[in-house]
Amino acid sequence: MKFTRHISTQLAARLDGQLTAAELRKAEEHLRTCVRCREESEQVRSGMAIIKSLESVAAPDEIWSSIEAGFQPAPKRPPWQRQWLLAPAVVLILAGIVWWRSASSWIETSSTSRTTISIGNIGTVEVEPNTRVRVVKDQPDEHRLTLARGEIRATISAPPKLFFVDTPSGTAVDLGCAYLLTAEEDGSDLLRVTRGWVSFQWKGLESLVPAGASCRTRPKAGPGIPYFDDASDALKRALETNGNLTIILSESRKRDTLTLWHLLSRVEVGDRARVFDRITALTPLPAGVTREKALQLDHQTLDHWREELAWTW
Amino acid sequence: MADLTGREVNADVVESCRLGDRDAFRALYLLYKDRVYSVALYFFHGDPAVAADVTQQVFLKLITSIGQFRGDAGFSTWLYRLVVNECMDAARGRKSKVVTSDRARMEAFAVPGSQEEDYARTQMVSSVRSAISALPLKFRIAVLLRYFDELSYEEMAKALGCSMGTVASRLSRGHTMLAELLKA
Repeated sequence: MKFTRHISTQLAARLDGQLTAAELRKAEEHLRTCVRCREESEQVRSGMAIIKSLESVAAPDEIWSSIEAGFQPAPKRPPWQRQWLLAPAVVLILAGIVWWRSASSWIETSSTSRTTISIGNIGTVEVEPNTRVRVVKDQPDEHRLTLARGEIRATISAPPKLFFVDTPSGTAVDLGCAYLLTAEEDGSDLLRVTRGWVSFQWKGLESLVPAGASCRTRPKAGPGIPYFDDASDALKRALETNGNLTIILSESRKRDTLTLWHLLSRVEVGDRARVFDRITALTPLPAGVTREKALQLDHQTLDHWREELAWTW
Repeated sequence: MADLTGREVNADVVESCRLGDRDAFRALYLLYKDRVYSVALYFFHGDPAVAADVTQQVFLKLITSIGQFRGDAGFSTWLYRLVVNECMDAARGRKSKVVTSDRARMEAFAVPGSQEEDYARTQMVSSVRSAISALPLKFRIAVLLRYFDELSYEEMAKALGCSMGTVASRLSRGHTMLAELLKA
């Protein structure tokens, strides 16, 4: 008896002309003898015909107006103005009393004041009342603030890793996003992401927080385990208080693999398999990820797994 | 600047955009806007408000990041990486939000024609759109990228951040599921 592997994963590539000559020859040989793959191939062909029946839809004109509003040409400045460029491009819009002296000075809002910091041409930071924040660096390749206490709302449209906020318990690294960051008096922080991703880092520990999720950090403990804001109260309470793994596992939905994926590398070695089993019960293990490698916390395996899980987050 | 074609998006055009040449950016926008909007529209079940928001965000990010484009990958690949990220981010943000009415969705696809033609087209578009919406996100974005800009598998792999084998697998599975959904 001759055993051959089915070619389900290559059927679209064959019809799209994306196989090499050798791959195509093998595929054709297989199709001559495999009824199942021939039927699947017809389905793929049918699916392609369906998608080709779609019409392109013209983008509404008003989109350009809003884009154009954000379009600020880089001005050509005379030499005498170049020194000015070295100063931080920080613009403050005062809604109360604000103390601000220079890029290295602290900005403090009172209980009735707010202010807006313009971050180069990549976004803005709204500084809420009772907040103490400082612009540490304002260069095209790095914009960095320090948040001592209070709350800021950052909206950044830029490539990842251009905007950073240091807090007493970690650093929020922008990955192209909008978020709210609150620094409490006790040194803990709460990060809530509304668009894109934020990486929260501290001494080699990292939590990746997508839109719709939050993460708490604590002094000398670094970033906590992120969770989706629509997760069950029991799950959030367990993360917040006693870290009861049984509750966290039983309360997790498919989307909460965000939380479980982060837990995998943070729980005791003996609990690692429980977390792994819960993730795989919620969503199939993707190709390229093995139980053995995942439990060994192989970085490449975990990164690949996260990328696959992220489609459900 | 005259209208561009995809092959003309070269270092000069990118440099003009980077230096703040509004006409160059406008030409770039005109070249890609309908494709980006269409991908977003079909990705989000015909929701015109989300599609417009995604399109706007993609081009706003393009403005601020175009200086990073070095020409080592095709411009389309680079742009569609932004589209994929923006679609995924918007999808996450929408999971707990109210969605647009069906009427608004249908109007987004409306094109001039007779009533009968409109009806038939509307029904067909509605069925296909529903089938596309039923695809898991990773299959959905793959079939839309492949169709609307005819990216090669290599370009798609770069835009999606996965291997060419994964692209091939997702397209096969995505098209098979589409056929199954419309047969049911």
